[in-house]
Amino acid sequence: MKYRRIARFHGLNPKRTRIRQTWNKYNLYNIFKQNDPRVVHRTFFQQKWTAKANTRAYHGEHIRERTWQRMFSRRLPSVVAMEPSYMAKHDGSEQAAGRGSGRDMPIGTEEKAIRNGNSTTPTPFMQMTYAPMERRLDIAVFRALFASSARQARQFCVHGAVTVNGMKMRYPGYLLNPGDLFQVNVERVLTATGCKKETTKNKTKKNSAAAAEDAEDAAEEVDGEEAKSSEETPKAEVQLDEAAEKDRQLAVLRRCRKRAKYISQTPSADLSAKQKKALRSLIKEVESTASIIARRGGDAKQTGDVVDKMTALMDKLDLKPALLEPEAKEKKEQEAKDAIEAKDLALEEERILKELIEQERENPIDSSKPYYTPWKPRPYMAPFAFIPRYLEVNPNICAAVYLRHPVARQGRAEVPTPFSPGLNQLAFNWYLRRG
Amino acid sequence: MPPRIRSSPGLLLNRAETSVLLHNAQPSPAAGRPWAAAATTSSSSSSSHYSPQCVSLLPQHHQQTSSFSTTASRDLSRNRTKFWAFLKKEGRDFKNAPGEPKYLGDLKGSKEKRHAPFPNNPTYKSEPVLSDVARETIWREIMKQGMPLKAVSAKYSVDMRRVAAVVRMKEIERQWEADHKPKALPYAKAITSMVPQHSLSEREQPFEPVNDVHVHSYTQQQLFWPASESREFTRKDAAEAFGEHILPPDEKMRIPELMQLEKDINAGVEKHEAYKSFLDATRESELQIANRERTRLMKEEANKTRVDSGRFEFRFERFNADNVGKNGRARKAVGWRYGVPFSDRRRAEVKIPTKME
Repeated sequence: MKYRRIARFHGLNPKRTRIRQTWNKYNLYNIFKQNDPRVVHRTFFQQKWTAKANTRAYHGEHIRERTWQRMFSRRLPSVVAMEPSYMAKHDGSEQAAGRGSGRDMPIGTEEKAIRNGNSTTPTPFMQMTYAPMERRLDIAVFRALFASSARQARQFCVHGAVTVNGMKMRYPGYLLNPGDLFQVNVERVLTATGCKKETTKNKTKKNSAAAAEDAEDAAEEVDGEEAKSSEETPKAEVQLDEAAEKDRQLAVLRRCRKRAKYISQTPSADLSAKQKKALRSLIKEVESTASIIARRGGDAKQTGDVVDKMTALMDKLDLKPALLEPEAKEKKEQEAKDAIEAKDLALEEERILKELIEQERENPIDSSKPYYTPWKPRPYMAPFAFIPRYLEVNPNICAAVYLRHPVARQGRAEVPTPFSPGLNQLAFNWYLRRG
Repeated sequence: MPPRIRSSPGLLLNRAETSVLLHNAQPSPAAGRPWAAAATTSSSSSSSHYSPQCVSLLPQHHQQTSSFSTTASRDLSRNRTKFWAFLKKEGRDFKNAPGEPKYLGDLKGSKEKRHAPFPNNPTYKSEPVLSDVARETIWREIMKQGMPLKAVSAKYSVDMRRVAAVVRMKEIERQWEADHKPKALPYAKAITSMVPQHSLSEREQPFEPVNDVHVHSYTQQQLFWPASESREFTRKDAAEAFGEHILPPDEKMRIPELMQLEKDINAGVEKHEAYKSFLDATRESELQIANRERTRLMKEEANKTRVDSGRFEFRFERFNADNVGKNGRARKAVGWRYGVPFSDRRRAEVKIPTKME
């Protein structure tokens, strides 16, 4: 059912192919094989009609036709870049010299145009037909790469996940003013742009298809969880006195290193389901203690208790017999001996470990999230990832500023449209409503 | 979400329901027929009236067929075959994040990268965005070194509005860091790898033109203006010819101080001297704007009386009730006026705010 809906929305059939504002793979294919509709043996009206239908299917397909007709403007905004060094030298009279269009230069030299400060590239005005649409909040959210489709961006607005200048804005039709800063809830953005979470359904499918791959994934998951557990500890340590903190951090680091080595040396497939389960329950405990710290933050005594508890947990994690294969345990004991002999950590390893911990802190494995963790971009996202110049985006905080209205300049139009200038011109003519 | 499909009532029965209906109508004798169980691939409600000839064909087709159907369905339509072929061939590189900007326009075009996301639209390019380092540089120059916005904009060739936006968002980011609010770092990393980046170094092309002049619609029509050949017909004269209120580009420039800088250099002033006076001029203009804004706010405040009741702050503003415009229906007019309905009673009134401040 879902497939049929998607297929119908995008239309794989060449006769009703529609290019949409989505990051879908069907859409990618449609853009790839896109051809301009034929114009021979068709009346001007028919040509305009088809152009209108095709372009409107992309530009604000979810907006009613009457609403768009009210927004449409026949005035197409454009700018010219003025070069200050040229303007400082000339007052413009040289362009009006002679018979009114500048003095003649030898034929075939481009020098005239360059001297006059103008390039000969035409301005693609017709690509600006749908410029007023880009002012809408939902479309701007989609353009800023915070949602994977315009409809999803619209949903974000309606569900109250978008703020404009710090205030919640529930109208997707809000027209942004130059200088407006809009922000989208980070979790929403991560869900929209991340890989899908593995449901039980997906997993069973995968199992039958590629069991080996799955095993690898599971092993990675355990790795990640291990690293995560080690990541939570320094958080608690922050609250302690400086003197104690140093010792403790060292201890934690040592333990982390041991565990990292243990994991790297244990063949990942050897971990049984029971062992994984035990690991996960431990991680959960660590997480809950961490959240307690976060809630009660600052209370020295409680923090100390929690840290003690956590240290106990860590010891348990290291020594728990169910978690350790006999061989690995022996290896580990040897390592511990080695470590005592060496009495200091190898700097390189420490650095790598710190990096790993940092990476884990940035992008943790968390089953409570609605997206696949660790977060990774959804498939087929790259060909749709571009940010138009009228927006300035800060992806770290999922915020963007609508700097100005989109404009056309020589050789460039700022409205991202998949259609050729000819098609957009026909659509523009349709909305002019003249003959 | 895509729109829902309207289906005719006849289509409402799906495959499972139909098979159930058939099942009820005709009790299954399948238990006694070994081929029936072998033929059905997945559904347990096995069919009751297959002909043996048809069943022998079934295992060759991978598609699941209706239990009552006697014809085998096609595996994939031609369009879907083409689609999957595309995904396997050209689309393969797009599936997982390639680690560098990669667009459809680069597929069909020549070897050099055009960064064109839409192959049919040559006028749109994925233009580079400011990298993390570049944004940090801009923020540092403005907030730490106290450089004027205009000077930073001219130095890096970044639009003034963009400079302001970068600083504004960087401040929010720093506030998030101070509050230990989690940022979208993995997402930002992915975006950075997919969108072309500009680090504001001198080796790169200038980021964007900083002195864009808006094209007034009056100047877009051709104009025949007789003037003597000996006359110096300048930009200013041209602006006047187009209309009385049309400004020449010299006055519309965003950083007019840049022109003065160039003029000074042309006149033979030392470069660093000229740059120094440029910095002073930009600083001065920024101060002027700040002063203007301050006086405006003070004037507004003088017109207001604030009464703090502990729970609420009431603000009373002086207003002339006779200020109702020509026909008594001015938008900004206050109070009830005869014959004018309230905004919540008016038909088709758009309630979406026009600005958020």
